[in-house]
Amino acid sequence: MDLFSNLALGFATAASPWNLLFCLVGALLGTLVGVLPGIGATATIAMLLPITFQLEPVSSLIMLAGIYYGAQYGGSTTAILINMPGESSSAVTALDGYQMARKGKAGAALAIAALGSFFAGSVSTFLVALFAPPLTSIALQFGAAEYFSLMVVGLVSSIALAHGSIVKALGMVVLGLLLGLVGTDIYSGTPRFTFGIREYSDGLNFVAVAVGIFGIAEILRNLESEKTREVLMAKVGGLMPSREDLKAMVAPMLRGTAIGSALGILPGGGAILASFASYTVEKRISKTPEEFGRGIVAGVAGPESANNAGAQTSFIPMLTLGIPANPVMALMIGAMIIQGIVPGPNVATEQPKLFWGIIASMWIGNLMLVVLNLPLIGLWVKLLTVPYYVLFPIIMAFCSIGVYSVNGNAYDLYAVAFFGLIGYVLAKLRCEPAPLLLGFVLGPLLEENLRRAMIISRGDPSVFVTRPISAILLLLALTVLIVVFLPSVRKKRDEVFVEED
Amino acid sequence: MKSVSIDPANGAAGALFIAIGAVFAFQAFGLELGTTFRMGPGYFPLVLSLILIFLGCIVLVQATQVQGEPIGAFAWRGMLLILPAPIIFGLTVRGLGFVPALFLAALIAAFASTRMRPLMAVVLAIAVSLFSALVFIKGLGLPFRLFGPWLGY
Amino acid sequence: MKKLVAVLAAGLSVVGTLGAQAQTFPDRNITVVVPFSAGGPTDTVTRLVAEAMSKDLGQQVLVENVGGAGGTLGAGRVADADPDGYTLLLHHIGMATSATLYRKLPYDTLNAFDYIGLVTEVPMTLVARKDLEPTDLKSLVEYAKANKDTVTVANAGIGAASHLCGMMFMSAIDTPLVTVPYKGTGPAMTDLLGGQVDIMCDQTTNTTKQIQGGTIKAYAVTTPERLQVLPDIPTSTEGGLNNFDVSIWHGLYAPKGTPADVIDRLSKSLQVALADQNVVDRFAELGTAPSPASDATPAALKAKLEGEIARWKPVIEAAGQYAD
Repeated sequence: MDLFSNLALGFATAASPWNLLFCLVGALLGTLVGVLPGIGATATIAMLLPITFQLEPVSSLIMLAGIYYGAQYGGSTTAILINMPGESSSAVTALDGYQMARKGKAGAALAIAALGSFFAGSVSTFLVALFAPPLTSIALQFGAAEYFSLMVVGLVSSIALAHGSIVKALGMVVLGLLLGLVGTDIYSGTPRFTFGIREYSDGLNFVAVAVGIFGIAEILRNLESEKTREVLMAKVGGLMPSREDLKAMVAPMLRGTAIGSALGILPGGGAILASFASYTVEKRISKTPEEFGRGIVAGVAGPESANNAGAQTSFIPMLTLGIPANPVMALMIGAMIIQGIVPGPNVATEQPKLFWGIIASMWIGNLMLVVLNLPLIGLWVKLLTVPYYVLFPIIMAFCSIGVYSVNGNAYDLYAVAFFGLIGYVLAKLRCEPAPLLLGFVLGPLLEENLRRAMIISRGDPSVFVTRPISAILLLLALTVLIVVFLPSVRKKRDEVFVEED
Repeated sequence: MKSVSIDPANGAAGALFIAIGAVFAFQAFGLELGTTFRMGPGYFPLVLSLILIFLGCIVLVQATQVQGEPIGAFAWRGMLLILPAPIIFGLTVRGLGFVPALFLAALIAAFASTRMRPLMAVVLAIAVSLFSALVFIKGLGLPFRLFGPWLGY
Repeated sequence: MKKLVAVLAAGLSVVGTLGAQAQTFPDRNITVVVPFSAGGPTDTVTRLVAEAMSKDLGQQVLVENVGGAGGTLGAGRVADADPDGYTLLLHHIGMATSATLYRKLPYDTLNAFDYIGLVTEVPMTLVARKDLEPTDLKSLVEYAKANKDTVTVANAGIGAASHLCGMMFMSAIDTPLVTVPYKGTGPAMTDLLGGQVDIMCDQTTNTTKQIQGGTIKAYAVTTPERLQVLPDIPTSTEGGLNNFDVSIWHGLYAPKGTPADVIDRLSKSLQVALADQNVVDRFAELGTAPSPASDATPAALKAKLEGEIARWKPVIEAAGQYAD
């Protein structure tokens, strides 16, 4: 059996003592840097990249894979503990994870995130090993029209992210879409909404926006009434999830893995939607949708699994096509090139040791993460007992470094302050930040693909319905809309959202 | 008030949406709009800002019908001291260098809490700057200068 | 050489410290600013060269990514930096094309920098989706002219190598085609592989492996001679297209006013780095070669920059597309 001999080769490569060590060190460093507030996976990898240059190619990439998983998990940790997501996926984790932490279940939330990620990672590693080439050919069927329709599905389902007023959630999505358009229009070169500031011509920095509207707004809210906060955080319950928690996480974890694996294959930004999509699905099929946003296990297990599965399968386009699906993959490709490996369609046949070694190390990296992080949970949770007034100056310092280190652009730091203010004001007006962030991520993709589809079709809008995949996706979006606004369902929703309006 | 009472949070949210929508719409008008089939840079943003204004109006109308919780107090002290922290870091990191810039940012942010005492704040800021200099500059080799030209380095 | 000695002597006699600096330069880390994000082709080139230069200079040469606004933010940063040789800029052809693409620049391209040397000239390849009908460059040109309303040319955004080369191609065949911009090379290449767009012209760094793997079709390389890594691909001149010669050249710059002896030391170090076996090998895998020592000099870079600004100005102005 070819697959087994390949996998055996992979494990033989990845499981050499030195490579295991590098993988462990990578996962540890990735976690430690990624857990610093305001420093997401991209910044972490960019910072740690040079360390791997000294190693031989296979070890270097294995260590890099460790760093990648570590950074991802570290990012989720900060999202759960202090509501400070470093990238779009952990923004979703923050929704219920942070609420669990506030209820004293931080340890459980972290363990659920780790276990969910591990499971999803293991399954999707096998998907990568088994189906990489055929999956790639499906991914290549996606052109501009298909991506546009996919983003529409994402937008429509974003309504579920809110647990308050639907209209305000929609407003936040639209506001996010607009903010996402700030920067130079790639079609005409015209700067838009930059107020003449050249530093914003590549758009607003995601970390700046996320840290501002989530993290800093949260700090400010806590500063309103410092005394109650101390009480909230002093209540740290058991470290491990209860039996009920574990039972509650199984189904969301399975669904999240499926959703994330499917979306991650798409090189044009599908993985971005993974955690959002999973959250939407969980909330839609849950018997207790009103609990979402208040610290429900499914709201952490689903998105975290989806995110990790998506992160894993987004290696598929990179390994089979040599194309980066996201900034993190671009960094990985940069690292490969420096090591003398130029990724392309032939990596699997020309460098089987490397190809299968990376696949095996994905699984090992995930395993390391669980081994490493379950014991660390105690430590992370202890951080919450640090008095808040000591914690937040440290948070501000680290997020300044994190934001600045990506592009050395001081205007990104000014954006942090600006979005901190906006985020705080919006929070005071009971507008939720998650839909805004989704809009911000989708905005440019939506517009870009819409205009690209129109250019390629020579201005014929029928492409969106004549191309089968696109048509199916639009139909799906329509279905979601109908379900949301159908009178009977509407009534149920109203009951669910009595707290608002 | 008997006649028309407006829920302050929703009223303000609606007004804010309308105002932001108006700013973006105004700017979008200055860009080339193009046609539906050959969209210019202004087309998509203009449509979005009109939607935002429309949604703002709905929120505003809803605000007159249902009363929600009051907005509550604003953390003025927090806003005045937390928000400038990243700005100060950005303004000084190249001139003063990494360590003094970080020290200043952490120090200012520390005073946002009423419970922070001056000595404690200084110690905390020094500790954070030293730790970060060791980890990020010495350990990870980020290409930032520890002390900058304004200090004569 | 005489001139150099004279300058050195003058430096020594007028400011004693300047001479001392030359002997001790560098006495701390040097930062090379890359005006693009980490992981891209320019970043890769820089990191390889920086590592080799570190060995020669005995001090760490760090790479700082100051991305944004088509490379003009990073260039502006270095233009404003202290001219002491500790802050350098590694920029590609965009240094020359920005001068026309941007109507307002925060620096004066020809007067804000001192030159250290050319680093490499990355060849470009004209590639297409693998099922595009034409079999050679000549029939491609005919095909493009006959179907100019439907042939789509992908590029990675304004000012990107693929954008410049696409413009040059359309200018060379004197036919405007349908331009489809993307945000970065990755998505553009994905759509080319998927057959969503027709042609693209991009650096060998991005295309070589795909061409070798047979996932895309190559019509020409844009250099005077065929490439070692792609011996079967004809040059554009062989294919009958004469004025289509594009390469993405990279140069190393310092802020204007850097002491001549420091420039000299850096230039020497660049030449040593470019002869480093590791650099040669890695560059070869990317489908390029380090510039010869004769080009890794201030004079060669200056001449290149001036020539390229003049060459691209009419092409960009004719396309009428600006980045601000």
